[in-house]
Amino acid sequence: MDAIARIKQLGMPRRNDELWTFFPVSKIPAPEFPDACACEEDFSDEMDFAALLPIASNARTMVQSIADNAEEIAMLKCNNDFGRTVLNIGKNAKASIEILDNKVLHPICAERFDVNVGEGADVEIFFANPANDLPLAFRHFHITQAAGSQVRFASIERGNGISRVSIDDFLNAPGAKFECRTLNMLGGTAESHHRLHIYHNAPETTSTQLSRNLLDGSSRASYDGSVIVGANCTKALSSQLVNTILLSGDSSVSVKPVLKIYHDDVECTHGNTVGELDAEQMFYLVSRGIPQETAKRMLMSSFAKETFYPLPDSVGKKRLLQVLA
Amino acid sequence: MLSIKNLKASIEDGTQILKGIDLEVRPGEVHAIMGPNGSGKSTLSKVIMGHPAYKVDDGSVELDGKNLLEMEISERANSGLFISTQYPTEIPGVNNVDFLKMALNSKRAYLGMPEMSDDDFKNLCEEKMALLEMDERYRERGVNDGMSGGEKKRNEILQMAILDPKVSFLDETDSGLDIDALRIVANGINHIMAPEKAVILVTHYQRLLDYIKPTYVHVLRHGKIILSGGPELALKLEEQGYDWIEEK
Ligand SMILES: Nc1ncnc2c1ncn2[C@@H]1O[C@H](COP(=O)(O)OP(=O)(O)OP(=O)(O)O)[C@@H](O)[C@H]1O
Ligand SMILES: [Mg+2]
Repeated sequence: MDAIARIKQLGMPRRNDELWTFFPVSKIPAPEFPDACACEEDFSDEMDFAALLPIASNARTMVQSIADNAEEIAMLKCNNDFGRTVLNIGKNAKASIEILDNKVLHPICAERFDVNVGEGADVEIFFANPANDLPLAFRHFHITQAAGSQVRFASIERGNGISRVSIDDFLNAPGAKFECRTLNMLGGTAESHHRLHIYHNAPETTSTQLSRNLLDGSSRASYDGSVIVGANCTKALSSQLVNTILLSGDSSVSVKPVLKIYHDDVECTHGNTVGELDAEQMFYLVSRGIPQETAKRMLMSSFAKETFYPLPDSVGKKRLLQVLA
Repeated sequence: MLSIKNLKASIEDGTQILKGIDLEVRPGEVHAIMGPNGSGKSTLSKVIMGHPAYKVDDGSVELDGKNLLEMEISERANSGLFISTQYPTEIPGVNNVDFLKMALNSKRAYLGMPEMSDDDFKNLCEEKMALLEMDERYRERGVNDGMSGGEKKRNEILQMAILDPKVSFLDETDSGLDIDALRIVANGINHIMAPEKAVILVTHYQRLLDYIKPTYVHVLRHGKIILSGGPELALKLEEQGYDWIEEK
């Protein structure tokens, strides 16, 4: 079934769709699709409207391959409403991929990235774009990981509109690791939604998720993270943590952790904290003469930076921390 | 220079902790405050700095004639008040040196002075760190982050040395220090002390007072200063405890 047939079969996202629980689905304009789908791939299993949208809109596919053992730093940018990038990353390759925002204002834009990560490859995918005014932006990642591969995903969202990042990560062979660190710094009426499905399809696979939110105004963030550990997947490790600081009474966060485990020998943890800036830390800073507003900014910045400190030194980490400096 | 009159303060549930404190601190003086656990010593330091957990019910606190109780917390600090809390707060994400620089430049801005240059700040920092025999690793760490009790206390005195306050209220700075660290920290405090400055020390032990000679020793109990005397009072308290003192 091609993408157009599948998206029509799925229909528009609805509030009671499991994948769209927290999203303001009424704000998605009904798209018009071309008569024929340019892409012949079979999408009968694809569940996410946002994952299909670029393909069903006949976005031009850009294929990039990184050879075995190669080291590459790449920046990806899409200038159309819809974009699709396929990245094939060779065995033991090292890649750092930054995704830049579309600067052209479209009422809706949707991008899809298919990342196929070869054995032993080490990949970072990150974005830390300046605040934009895109009213509605979807970014979908379909990541498959071979044995011993590592993928680190890190992002800072500061948009003024509504954004949704969806990630399906398939840890298909032993030793594969996925780490996801996302930071939302939102104000006004901005919304940022994350929807993840991490499939532990092999033994000794690891996934780590940390999401931090600094929410002001009447902004909203949501985190819908599912971890699925298959049968036979012994010694799988998974953790998920969401930390939110609400800077205003009107901002809000929604978190939905889902664990589907079909095996005993796995370790999965999840946590969710919501709070304000720490009053004792505030007191300490101001009692040293630092004005209240500055102290507040210092604590916010430290909360934000801590999202990325544990990452190994890399182009991406440097860029993310630079943006927060 | 610091004048506390009939200071009464309570916590949120209405319990009054400070029940009328009077304390006059003049330039060049060192005041030691002693007293049993839970008597209100730490509360006194936090109340004069304006900690949000306490409500002032009555009384006044003036620094060089200015009413501290009407000021923002940062203004109190920038006017020359420094308090070192008994359990310094950890702020992992804020770098020690960045924090010190921000604090110093906030004070300079408040006093209408230009920002200190990076070189001058570096030199100042080096000088004070040497005075306190501090390890270079302090620079890389977050504020009090993962520091041992003794390291935190030393870090507090470093801040005091750099901010150069008029009146310092040091709450149990001696607790948690090993013998060498006690000597180093005490020397640091003596070095910072000057005829135009004053220090208030809260301590449970005579040993700190062997290094820093107090002008006055006060006993705080149940939220009031119940006895004041000279250095000999500390010795007597060390020997006999607090039970012999009759409350007024
Ligand atoms: N924020 C607070 N909330 C509740 N109780 C408080 C608070 N602050 C102080 N207290 C209470 O007030 C009393 C005085 O406390 P404080 O910490 O000032 O004593 P202290 O003299 O410093 O004691 P120590 O020698 O043990 O350090 C104690 O009974 C304490 O439990
Ligand atoms: Mg105390």
